[in-house]
Order: sequence, then structure tokens, then C-alpha cells
Amino acid sequence: MLTVVFDAGPLITACKFKSQGKLVVDHLLSGCRIVIAPSVEEEVAVLGAGYPDGMAAGERIVRGEIQVVLVTERRWVRHLADYALGEGERDSIELCAQMEAEALVTDDYLAFVAATRLGLKVWMLPDLVLELTERGSLTLEVVEAILEVIRPRYRRGVIEHSLVRLQEMEE
Amino acid sequence: MLKVVVPVEEEILRAAERRKATGVGEDIAQFLAELINLGFEHRLQQLYQRFEAGEISLGYFAHELGLSVRDLYAALEQRGLPTSNIGAKPSAAGS
Repeated sequence: MLTVVFDAGPLITACKFKSQGKLVVDHLLSGCRIVIAPSVEEEVAVLGAGYPDGMAAGERIVRGEIQVVLVTERRWVRHLADYALGEGERDSIELCAQMEAEALVTDDYLAFVAATRLGLKVWMLPDLVLELTERGSLTLEVVEAILEVIRPRYRRGVIEHSLVRLQEMEE
Repeated sequence: MLKVVVPVEEEILRAAERRKATGVGEDIAQFLAELINLGFEHRLQQLYQRFEAGEISLGYFAHELGLSVRDLYAALEQRGLPTSNIGAKPSAAGS
């Protein structure tokens, strides 16, 4: 199964929005293994425990559906030192390399650029959704609904781009 | 609302007292609370501009503002601002 490392932003979004009566994260978990760093768990499920999505993330962590993995290898401390990144973003980049995950999932520009420059495959949350569609884990109908429901969290162009790709898959 | 004791610059306190004395404002505590809110909002907007430009990440933004990432996510959502800074930057008109 596809393994991806999630940064805090997309994890919050995935645990917050529902499509067809199911949280986006649950749609994703049917087709991929989600791994997070302890700092991301802290940001989303511990400090965010007062929010329904923080609770949802916490429940999935307790059930082992979202895995929390310690960062034990830090190969890019110096490379990342001067980027204005948060702890969660740094740890997610390091963890992605350590786990040899398929991709890092982040909606953050700076994390996206830094990780790409380090040679990692980086996806935004909508890209992961499309990837799971291509792999047959999600139906086109579900994906279209997910993209619409998460749209307010993105700048113009991102969801539009994904919808065009979805249309190409349909053809 | 939470109440805390904070040190205040003398000139700010004098301004608050003057406002009360001249009838412009009534409550010194309310005036100071408004100032704090304005300061927070100003800092948030300053940092959002840097975030929008891709200079800082969401996590760094939260740390600088003294919020958790989840609280910052909520603060941006409340103001109708995207939590992702990838894609077309909204124009000044907000379109």
C-alpha cells in the first residue's frame, strides 16, 4: 500500500471536511497508509484536541490507522536550517526520507520547495486524492466531491487544476 | 473573557486616561483591550503577507504568532483566508 507522510495543514483539512458522509481522511485511508511525525501529532491531535478534527485525528492515531513515527535520522539539518519552517514541516521532510515514503503531502509552499529541492516527491492534498483515483482506490464521484468540499482552503488554481486532471481521467 | 495583568507603557496609559477625561472613551480597560486586539491583528496580517509570499511556512507563522498550528488554521479560516499558500495569490480586490 502507498505510504505517505502528512504535514499538519493537509492532515487538519483531511480530518475536518466530510464528503458523502465520511471524513476525507477516511476516504484516503482506504487507499494509503498515513504516517506523521510526533511534532505533527502534537500540533494536530494534542494542541488541536479542542477541535473536532483534532479529536478525529487523535482517534485514528489511537486505532493505529494513522501512524506516528519518531524521526531517528536527520540527514538534512543543515540544508533546512535557514528556511523559515516550523518543527512539524522539518520533521515531516526528514521522516519522508527516513521512511522512504512515496511522497510528502504538504500544502505549504516553502515546505514544498525545500522538500522538492532535496529530491523528495511532494504532493498537495488534492494530488494525493487524484493519485488514489488513478490507483482505483477512490471513485471519480467521491473525488469530485472531496475537491469541492476542500476548495475554500486553497488559492485559486489548485482545485481547478485538479478538476481538469480528473476530467482527463474520465475521458 | 480572560483577564490578565500586563505592564503598559506610560504614554499609552496617559492616552487612555485622557480619552476617558475628555469623554472620547469611557473604559480604560476596554481601550487597552482594543489596543491589544489591534496589535495582534496587525502582527497576524504582517506574518500572513510573508506567508502569502512564500517566505515563511504555516508552522513558522504559527510559532512567530505564538499560536498552535491548529489555532492559526482556525484564525485564518475565520478571516476567510486560505491555509495553503500555493496557487494564484488573491488580488487586492479579493477575487
